Amino acid sequence: MIYGQLLIGLINGSFYALLSLGLSIILGLLNIINFTHGALYMMGAFAAWLLLAHAGIGYWPALVLAPLIVGLFGMVLERLLLSRVYRLEHLYGLLLTLGLATVIEGLFLNEFSAIGRPYPIPRALTGVWQLGFMTLPIYRAWVIAASVTVCAATWLVIERTKLGAYLRAGTENPALVGVFGINVPRMVTITFGFGAALAGLAGVLAAPIYQVTPLMGGNIITVVFAVVVIGGMGSIAGSILTGFIVGLIEGLTKSFYPEASSLAVFILMAVVLLIRPTGLFGRATTLTSNAGASSHAPPVLSGPAKAYLMPALVMTTFLLVAPAMLYPAFLMKALCFSLFALSLNLLLGFVGLGSFGHAMFLGTAGYITGYTAKAWGWPPEAAIAAGIGMSMLLGAVVGFLSIRRQKIYFAMITLALGELVYFFFLQIPFSGGEDGLSPVPRGRLLGVLNLENDITLYYLILALFLAGFFLVFRAVHSPFGQALKAIRENEPRAISLGYDTDRIKLVAFILSAGVAGLAGALKVFVFHIVSLPDVFHSTSGDVILMVLAGGVGTIFGPVVGAFLIVGMQQYLAPLGTWVMVVEGAVFALCVLSFRQGLVGQMAKILGRPL
Amino acid sequence: MTTQPDIVLETRDLTKAFGGFTAVDKVNLRIRRGAVHALIGPNGAGKTTCFHLLTKFIAADSGQILFNGRNITAARPHQVANLGIVRSFQISAIFPHLTIRENVRLALQRKQGWDYAILKPEAALATLDDRADELLAAVGLTEDPSTIGASLSYGRKRALEIATTLALEPSLLLLDEPMAGLGREDIARIAELIRTVSRDRTIIMVEHNIKVIADLCDTITVLRRGRVLAEGDYATISQNPEVVDAYLGGGHG
Amino acid sequence: MDEPAVVLHVLELHAYYGESHILHGMDFRVHEGEVVALLGRNGAGKTTTLKSIVGLVSKRRGSIALRNNELIGRKSFEIARLGVAYCPEERGIFASLTVKENLTLPPVTNPGGLSAAAVFELFPNLAERQHSQGTKLSGGEQQMLAIGRMLVSGARLLLIDEPTEGLAPVIVAQILTILQRLRDQGYTIVLVEQNLRFLSSLADRSYIVEGGRVVDVFDAARFAANIPKVESYLGI
Repeated sequence: MIYGQLLIGLINGSFYALLSLGLSIILGLLNIINFTHGALYMMGAFAAWLLLAHAGIGYWPALVLAPLIVGLFGMVLERLLLSRVYRLEHLYGLLLTLGLATVIEGLFLNEFSAIGRPYPIPRALTGVWQLGFMTLPIYRAWVIAASVTVCAATWLVIERTKLGAYLRAGTENPALVGVFGINVPRMVTITFGFGAALAGLAGVLAAPIYQVTPLMGGNIITVVFAVVVIGGMGSIAGSILTGFIVGLIEGLTKSFYPEASSLAVFILMAVVLLIRPTGLFGRATTLTSNAGASSHAPPVLSGPAKAYLMPALVMTTFLLVAPAMLYPAFLMKALCFSLFALSLNLLLGFVGLGSFGHAMFLGTAGYITGYTAKAWGWPPEAAIAAGIGMSMLLGAVVGFLSIRRQKIYFAMITLALGELVYFFFLQIPFSGGEDGLSPVPRGRLLGVLNLENDITLYYLILALFLAGFFLVFRAVHSPFGQALKAIRENEPRAISLGYDTDRIKLVAFILSAGVAGLAGALKVFVFHIVSLPDVFHSTSGDVILMVLAGGVGTIFGPVVGAFLIVGMQQYLAPLGTWVMVVEGAVFALCVLSFRQGLVGQMAKILGRPL
Repeated sequence: MTTQPDIVLETRDLTKAFGGFTAVDKVNLRIRRGAVHALIGPNGAGKTTCFHLLTKFIAADSGQILFNGRNITAARPHQVANLGIVRSFQISAIFPHLTIRENVRLALQRKQGWDYAILKPEAALATLDDRADELLAAVGLTEDPSTIGASLSYGRKRALEIATTLALEPSLLLLDEPMAGLGREDIARIAELIRTVSRDRTIIMVEHNIKVIADLCDTITVLRRGRVLAEGDYATISQNPEVVDAYLGGGHG
Repeated sequence: MDEPAVVLHVLELHAYYGESHILHGMDFRVHEGEVVALLGRNGAGKTTTLKSIVGLVSKRRGSIALRNNELIGRKSFEIARLGVAYCPEERGIFASLTVKENLTLPPVTNPGGLSAAAVFELFPNLAERQHSQGTKLSGGEQQMLAIGRMLVSGARLLLIDEPTEGLAPVIVAQILTILQRLRDQGYTIVLVEQNLRFLSSLADRSYIVEGGRVVDVFDAARFAANIPKVESYLGI
């Protein structure tokens, strides 16, 4: 039993190692966390499957061809798109690859649906070996051997060859390598291609074990991010080793405490972050005073509070009369997401912190509110308060673990912790698992107002939305908000003026979690249900898109963005999975050429803050 | 052992190594209250590292830092700032997308202890505007206070940085190459500003411009390869053969 | 005797780091086979001048002509391939590379590049340590490695930033010998240097840099005769 689980762990570890290896190489040289890595892995598997299904090309040629195809695709991606964001804040690279990953996965979902497709084990590798203490399927032994070999060979190439020397030198100081006559842009393209090819290879290896599905990449990528955080930056061998270690730990957990196996990686990550913030094999970095050289979010016009009065009145008036024109359900959903987007924008726009796991707050509050209302019969006001409270508590823990790390790491850590929360709710019985928690009764507010009436609920949500909006607005314009902006603009300088920036960021994080919690609590009542998508990373991606499309760092942008994206999801719903493609494309487009967002652009045109 | 009252800042055997390279090697500094004290030396002498150590942006490997006789070796960077030791940076450090008034106000509100005043309205901040504008005027920034920081010329950004720093009323000011990247007129202006500012406080500066140093500084410490090579006023230092050698090259001979 | 051809001609060069205006119209030229020094106090713009030539400073205007090629607008690696080698002040030894890997990093882009063996012949103590980590070498050895590395690509124009900085007198003497030998082999060298004694037996011409521009120039003869004046430019 334990050997079987360890074997599975080792298999998973094989994939983690291959993927985190490619991810680390790319991260080292390009300083980009490549979100498309999961999609590239999935493409590798599909390339093998397609080669077999449509061209009759079998496993062995596919083992070479698929990585080649994926690698070339990666190179095109890098040249055409990624190379455009190198000069920007690193967060944009992450956002762009997130958008691209969504497009790719959406296209595949559209073409192949979510159905898993089996891929046969090649004949030479069928069968099992009886080892006495366990039965070892030959294909699994092959996967482990292949992964170890490829990882070791890659390590050798990087550490022992001239080509590897270029890569190592380029990771240390790309500018100087250029001065020595090496074409660095080309090297970057090739490196990205190689990392992509490794992901493709992992995909082919995985095809006979797992079902080939468009979702396979999205499922594994967050684990791989956690692996990179655990391993730390700066060590190739470290990232390989961590991949296998994490796989094994997962396997061990599965044999002793199966419910926690999917959580194990993320718990391990949290522990490592507490004990050794730079990761197991990472090098320590010191706080440098490279001040002033920062290029944060695009400059946004801001103004005194009263400058926002008119647009705020217009917004309020519109929302007051809106139920006469639009479905209350749509409006309520859009308002909930507006609050959610406002909470994210508080961090992303005003502190410069990109949280990629923000759905954990939406979902956690949703589950707590839903459970207290449904199982314990708490009145809505108490259930909402409980949801917000729990969300803020979670915010304190997550914030404590993540805010000390720099931007792209912050993004990875929040994403991984978000996954931890997701798996927690997947496993914990009270959440209803895949089915979700329903039906949640809306109840009577303060024992008086019957919320089962859509219009009543709408005006309650509107009132709370306005309260949340005002809270965020007030916070942004308070002395605290000024301190946040100072951190965004130039953190070392803020410290040198005496600001305890870590603590201020933590307070902002908790505040943001609270507003996100309000959004999540209200959303439960709208749909009578809270379910796994509310805590899933795709929802975290959606809310980033809302903020980006509306305008990062603007006051009204998140609201406009939320209405836009929720509307798009609603009205494009007949298009099915194409919605995902459209969303991803909008995402990528926003990053590439519309970084001010709709409201930011409007503010620029009107020459006034919005 | 007590420190003499007229010593503001003292380091004892301050040491920091990066890898195998000892950037700051058992440095003992004694900065007199009210002095303008320069740290000079060839490139790589450890001046900027010294600054990072004094302001706790980098932790020392060994040695002590005493501020007004109090051991601050274990303090965090923001705590050092709140004790009255405020530093500037080589690249002018402002908050580029905020207005010049907001820049200065950030220092003023820090002193008010409003760091976590989430619900305090903008009106409260407005009470600091007069003081902010005064400080801006004091450094010659007489333009509209709602000017965005990023739109200032480089020299005027330096002035804004100094105004912001002064708002904290620091007792000890650390200036890291205040003249770097400035044109001639700006150098004269900023030098004048530093002179004015130095009346009520102690200043430590790292600077390459010898004219400025000769002009402004009472005491000069020369560092070389992480160690103190010499210390004294300009006349003494400029005659010191070892210092001359450090600058003009000790060689074969 | 004909004046040798101009290899490098820097004209009205302005350079910026962000908004910080560092070079305010640098002007100088370097002839084939010459050793030219840029002298000046810290912060005068000497390093920035070298960095501008090799394309490490992106914001520049004016002209940097390498024979008939304008370098402004070209990428670093293209400039290197035109036969320019550069040794930064901090020497640019990569910590993750061995001594030999550091040495052979630059691709051979011009005929006449030295092999690793030839460089080891020039610097025997590097040969012994060729498998150790580059940054584990002593300062002097690192400097020799950095100079040796410039000879690998076949470049004939060497830009060297403060080769004697922080080095013991014995090592400085060794470096001087090496540079003299390179000069005798016909390399063209631009040096940033503070050490006057070092320069007096090496430089054909010395430009004094102050405030981002050239303020004076001494040929070898004038240099020797005017040491006090030069010192007044540099001294404390």
